[in-house]
This record gives sequence, C-alpha cells and structure tokens, in this order.
Amino acid sequence: MLKATEITPAHLYSFKGGLKLKHHKRDSLDNGLSQSSIPDKLYLSLRINRGNIANPIVAVGDNVLKGQVIAKPDTTNGSYIHASSSGKVTAIGIRETASPNADYATVIEITTDKKDQWCTIAKTHSITEAIKSAGIVGMGGAGFPTHLKYQGNNIHTLIINGAECEPYISCDEQLMLDYPNDLIDGITLMMKAADAEQAIFALEDQVGGIKSQIDKIIAKRKIEHIVVVKVPTIYPAGGEKQLIKVLTGLEVPSGGLPLDLGIIVQNVGTAKALADYCKHGRPLLERIITVAGDAIGKPQNFSALTGTPISHLLQQAEFDKDKTERLVIGGPMMGYAMPNCDIGIDKTSNCILALSHENTQHHGDSLPCIRCGKCVEVCPSQLLPQQLHWYIKGENLEKAREHHLFDCIECGACAWVCPSQIKLVDYYRYAKSEINYLDYKRTKSDAAQIRHEQREGRLLKIKQERIAKRKRTKHRSKNPDKMKQDLQATLDRVKKAKEQKNEPK
Amino acid sequence: MNQNKVFNTESAPHIPDSNSVARVMLTVWLALVPAMLAHVFFFGTGIVIQLTLAIAFALLFEAISLKLLNKNINLFLKDYSAFVTGLLFALCISPVAPWWISFIGMFFSIVVAKHLFGGLGQNIFNPAMVGFAIVLISFPQAMSIWVAPQAISLYDMSFLENLQAIFFNTFPTEIDFDTLTQATPLDTIKTAISQDYAMSEITNVPLFGKFGGLGWEWIANFYFIGGLLLIYKKVITWRVPTAVIVTTIAFSLPFNLYDTDQFIGPLQHVFSGGLMLAAFFIATDPTTGCSSHKGQFIFGAGVAIMTVLVREFGNFPDGVAFGVLIMNMAAPLIDRLTIPKAFGQQR
Repeated sequence: MLKATEITPAHLYSFKGGLKLKHHKRDSLDNGLSQSSIPDKLYLSLRINRGNIANPIVAVGDNVLKGQVIAKPDTTNGSYIHASSSGKVTAIGIRETASPNADYATVIEITTDKKDQWCTIAKTHSITEAIKSAGIVGMGGAGFPTHLKYQGNNIHTLIINGAECEPYISCDEQLMLDYPNDLIDGITLMMKAADAEQAIFALEDQVGGIKSQIDKIIAKRKIEHIVVVKVPTIYPAGGEKQLIKVLTGLEVPSGGLPLDLGIIVQNVGTAKALADYCKHGRPLLERIITVAGDAIGKPQNFSALTGTPISHLLQQAEFDKDKTERLVIGGPMMGYAMPNCDIGIDKTSNCILALSHENTQHHGDSLPCIRCGKCVEVCPSQLLPQQLHWYIKGENLEKAREHHLFDCIECGACAWVCPSQIKLVDYYRYAKSEINYLDYKRTKSDAAQIRHEQREGRLLKIKQERIAKRKRTKHRSKNPDKMKQDLQATLDRVKKAKEQKNEPK
Repeated sequence: MNQNKVFNTESAPHIPDSNSVARVMLTVWLALVPAMLAHVFFFGTGIVIQLTLAIAFALLFEAISLKLLNKNINLFLKDYSAFVTGLLFALCISPVAPWWISFIGMFFSIVVAKHLFGGLGQNIFNPAMVGFAIVLISFPQAMSIWVAPQAISLYDMSFLENLQAIFFNTFPTEIDFDTLTQATPLDTIKTAISQDYAMSEITNVPLFGKFGGLGWEWIANFYFIGGLLLIYKKVITWRVPTAVIVTTIAFSLPFNLYDTDQFIGPLQHVFSGGLMLAAFFIATDPTTGCSSHKGQFIFGAGVAIMTVLVREFGNFPDGVAFGVLIMNMAAPLIDRLTIPKAFGQQR
C-alpha cells in the first residue's frame, strides 16, 4: 500500500472519458443562502440507503422534540433518524420518498408546532460514536453510512470532496463559501478519527475565491497536513473513484472500496455535519439544498430541515408549476424524477430541479443503437456501453457481467451523448438488479441442494443403521437360549428401576 | 395511497443534448462534398445523376421496407442512414453505369443487407458494400466501363449525354467508344500485368498521375480531408483510418520491394480505387465494425490486407468491398476477444 508521502497532490492525473457540461451554478449562487421556514408537516423517510431501514421508536400521537431519536437502525449499516423539529407524530405509514423511482417506504409524519424546541443531546466520547449518534451519512448523494468508513485501519489519506460535478447543483459550493471554519473543524475531526496522515481538499477549478479563503483559514489556524487542490471541471470528476484517480493516480480495484487503498473520501457536507455535532451539539437535522431549473423564478440555496416537503421549498423559490414538466431530486445527470411535490427531502437530497418541456430530454423517440461508439469515448469506467446494451437487450446477462457491468457507476454520460437517445443507464440498473436476484436465487438453490443432499445422507444412514440392527436381532433370534437370557436381563433391569423409584426419598 | 402523478418521471439524464443519428449522418454527407465536387471536375456530371438515382432508390426501398415491417416511417426516414448508404454506393460505381445498377444495388443494400437483418443498427454487413459487391460480381461488364478523366479525354460528355448513356445506354456517336471510355487505373494494371507489362511501363501512360490514377489521386485527397473533418467532429475516431492506410503501406511494401515490376507500389495502393473512401467512410461504419479500440485497429488492418491481396492476386481489380465484408463477419469475434480492461481492473 502507498504511503501518504508518496501521494503528491501538486501533480494531477486524469481519468479516461468524461464530459464537459455547462454548469448553470451561478444563478443559484448569486441569490445566496436562505434559511427555509419550518414547514407545517415533516415527512421523515426511514429508508436510509440501499435497503437499510430504521425502525420507528415513537408512536402516532407522541410529542417529539427537535433532535430526539425517532427511529433506530436494525443493522450496523443503518443510522439514526432524529426529529428535525418539535411537534407531534401524526402518522407513520408508507409514502413516496426522495429516492430512485420515488420508492415507497415507511415515513414518519410530524406536524410541527413551529416552536423548534430542542431536546437535550447526550454527550459522546469518541468521534466515531459521534458520527453514529448524529445520524451522519454521506451527503454527496449515495448516503453511505459514514461510521463504516472509520472502522478500517491503515488509513493514510482523507479526501474531502468539494468537486460538485453535476450541473445546477451548488449546495456544496455554497457551504464552502458560508461555513469554511466549520468545514475545517470537521476535516480535523475526521483526520483524528481516521488517524490519517494528511487530508486533500479537492475543488473544481471553475469555482472562484474558495481556495484562497480556505488557504487563509488553514494558515491562520496553523493547521498542518491539509492541502487544497483544484481539479479540472470534467463530469464526473466528483465521483469518488474518479476523484481518487485524479488526485493520486490510483484506481480503486474493481468491486473494491477506497478503503482498500487506505483512502477515505468524504463530502464537504459530511464534514460540516460532524463539526455541527461535535462543536454545537446539533445532530444532522438540516442540510443545504439547491433549488434551481428554468421553472424556478428565484433559484437559490436553502438551509432546510430534513423531511421538509419539496413543495414547501419550491413555494419559497417562486416556482412555476404550469411550466414544470419534470421535477428532479438530485442533478440532471443522475437525479430521480419525482411524480409530485409532496415528498420530504432527506439527508442526501442535494438539489431540486424544476425543468420545463424545452429544457428536458425526452426518450420517446429513441432509435436503435448504431454502435457509433460515442458512449465508449465518454465512459469514465472504460466500459463498452453499447455492447452492454446489446447483451442486456438480448437478456444475455452473463455476457454483460463479463463486460464488467458491475464497474458501471451510472453517471449517465453514455446516455447523454447517445445519438439514438437510448436510456442506457436504465438497462444497466435493470441488469444489475436482475443479476443480483439470479445470484441470490442460485445461492439459495445451491444451499437447498446441499441441504437436500445432507438430508438424503442422514436418511440413508438411519436406514442403514436400522438394517444393521435388524440383522443383529435376526441373528439373536436364531439362538433361543441367548434370546431368553437377554429377555431376562431386560426384565431384571426394569424391575430394579421400579424398586429404586418406589424407595422413599 | 396512489398519489396523483403530476410530473413526468422519465429517468436521467434530464437535460437535453443536441446529438442525434440524423446529425451524424448529415456530417458524413458534408464531409463527402469536397470529394464529390472533385469527382465532377475529373469525370463529369455523371456522378450527379448516379447520386440522385442511388439516393432516390435507397429512400424508396427504405420507405417500402419500413412500411412492410410496420415501423415508424417518419421517425426512421429522418435518420438519413439510407441517404448515406445511397451516397456511398454511388461514389463507388462508374459515372456512366446503367440506371438499373443502382436499382439492383440499392435493393440488396437496403432490403436484404439492412432490413432483412433487422434494420438500423442490426445489420451485420455494410449495406453499401453488399450492394456494390453484388453488382460487381453479377455485372462485371457494366461495372468496368468508366469514362476517361476529363484532363486527358478527347471528348467531355455533357449532362444530357450522360443521361442518355445511363438510361438508354447510348453514347455519343461522333467519337470512338474506346476513346470515350477507359478502364479504371487498377483495371488497367491488372490487365497489363497479365500481359507481362512491367509496372513502370504501365504507369507511364497519361491515365496515371503522380501516385495513383489521374484524377483518382485528387479525389482520394478530398476523401482524406473529409475524413479529417469527421475525426474533428468526433463522428469517427482516428483508429480505423490509420490502421487501414498504415497497414496498406506496410503490407504492400515488401511485395513491391521484392519485384517492382510485378507488384503495385504502396502509394499507388493508397491513392487508387476505393481505399481512401473505405478508410474514412466505410470501414469506420460503427454498426458493422469493431467497438473496442484494439478491435478497431485489427479491423482496419484486416480490411487493408484483404484489399492488397485481392488487388495483387485476385480476379478483381479492387478488393476494398470484399475486405470490408470479410472483416464485417469477423467483427463480433474480434470484439469478444478484445474486451478492454475496465477502471480498476488489474492490468
């Protein structure tokens, strides 16, 4: 494994593929950061990330205070959910959530009392414990439970990801502009927790002024081993694997994690959330979210409570509902279209995009693939997207796996350049889940097969034993004297046992 | 529970990009314009009639096929792929070839090679090359009559005379048919070598220019320039053209060095016949070619080797079409054997 000193952030590397996109970030940044008002209702999803679910520990009718834990995870992969404002639990039920396909999940509905009354927050002893109790997850979008990253040893480098590569999203840039001190606090805490030798703070080169501001704070506070590095603005440079490649020249092994290289990557929002808890005793209840798109009158960043309905934020940003054709949570490249705006935002929601018909891609007229290879040129994972599409379309899923389907990061660059406008990423998502399901079924059937064979074995053994026994008794029955003796012996034993039983205690 | 769905919920990416199949095809057309103008300059207006015919037949067969297959005619005709097939076919045939050459060629291109194999993007063989190979094998005589380049010709055929030649097979009578028409340079070489002439003697006639055939070499130059435009516009990559040209030179050079009088020189190979057109516009067809980078090199090299072999040892004067068709067959296998390493795979 490489040592921290062998990584020289002064020299940047590049990754293959990628796109140059218009970033559309200025509009929301120019209007600055506003504090969102407290909505009437909060919808807190208990679905944390990929299949990890928290279980409610409150009931309908309970009064809750701000910062109170209302749901606990069922596994170590999950994280805590807190009430983001004070009020009353008015419903616990299945609703749409701000996740892919607006999936249904258990949602706790809190009717707020607008008092925003805090509960007392218990002190924690270690930083990793703090990460868990504060309910911190990766705030860049994937929602990876942060505490899991600090369980490994041999971490030498912490990378702070401030490269927000998707167009329109500016929440991280806003955060870096408005909370640089908290950010640095968070980074030092993380370095301590991971026992890392250095931290590299990566920014896109299109942002202005942030690097000098952060550099000044680092110099003023005399913090060592943090370097701020600007990386080229190429989508998806902010992807974890791509960012590591750009900064260190190392590639995360296929199917592996950055931890395998001794590296932890954390979003700037995650660092700030940690500082908020350790310095101010505030769990992760609030995040910065960009509201933008051409159907938004006043694009801006909001500091909003988790669970705030999308509609509540849209109202504050002069939203034009009639003009909106698509409402997206996340960015235009990887975000999820929402069917309506009564859905609560969660910890990973970084952007709400309201797009008009003219500014929306429509896939209705997609043509067959002509194998032009544009997707090959832009794929940052160096795959052959058109071959994957071909195999998946023919249900030849094993071939797709052979073509490294599982190295796809679903960045959408291939679908973006496709002249036939094929929804390529949909095919990959479908194939991945289908393969996983088939694998699951296969392991299950393999296990059943083994169980079946073991049972057959056991039955055979019992049968053989029975046959052997029968043989023995048969052998005995040929000898009447021996049989008589045996019978007498058994009767004596029974008699003795009875006598013993009848004896007074 | 089923909430009212207010917004469109298609999946990402959500913002539009301007790329389309039609745009790709129109760029190809644009890149061919210089070479077409050069063609008119050297061989007269016959090519204009051939282009019109081939494109018209291509679109006609495309529309009929789409109709019979119950596909969306409006959507698919607008992709201009049939248009480009007609264009490439017309650039391969003689400017005075009879009209039914286009008809038969386009039937096999569009109906057989494209739609019977599943339509746009599904065809195994390059449609234009299938059509061309069929007419080349079936009607060698009609295909071999070319007009002499205007620079050395004693008589330039007018537009009307071209029309008469194409539709009624009547050539101007005031001049000898053999003076008016001439075999292609590659055809001339093939015949002459079989009659034991040496290469130096053969290429010493006015039909030949500096490296290739007179006129042909200039058209090849314009194909090259058009090809550079396609690379610049990122419609094709540099790999296939480079592989074709470099391999042609590298593979033909040893033969030529072995016996300069028996074998065609490397530059003559590159600037003659359909090689330059194939290098940039035909072997680069993504549908029927290879998709991995390594595969594209192998594909281009294969086309070049086949072409040189046919030209030197085969029965036909040019072998570009056969080279492309044979490599089309090999493309899926090459692709399977050259799957690139993905990000993070051990290398």
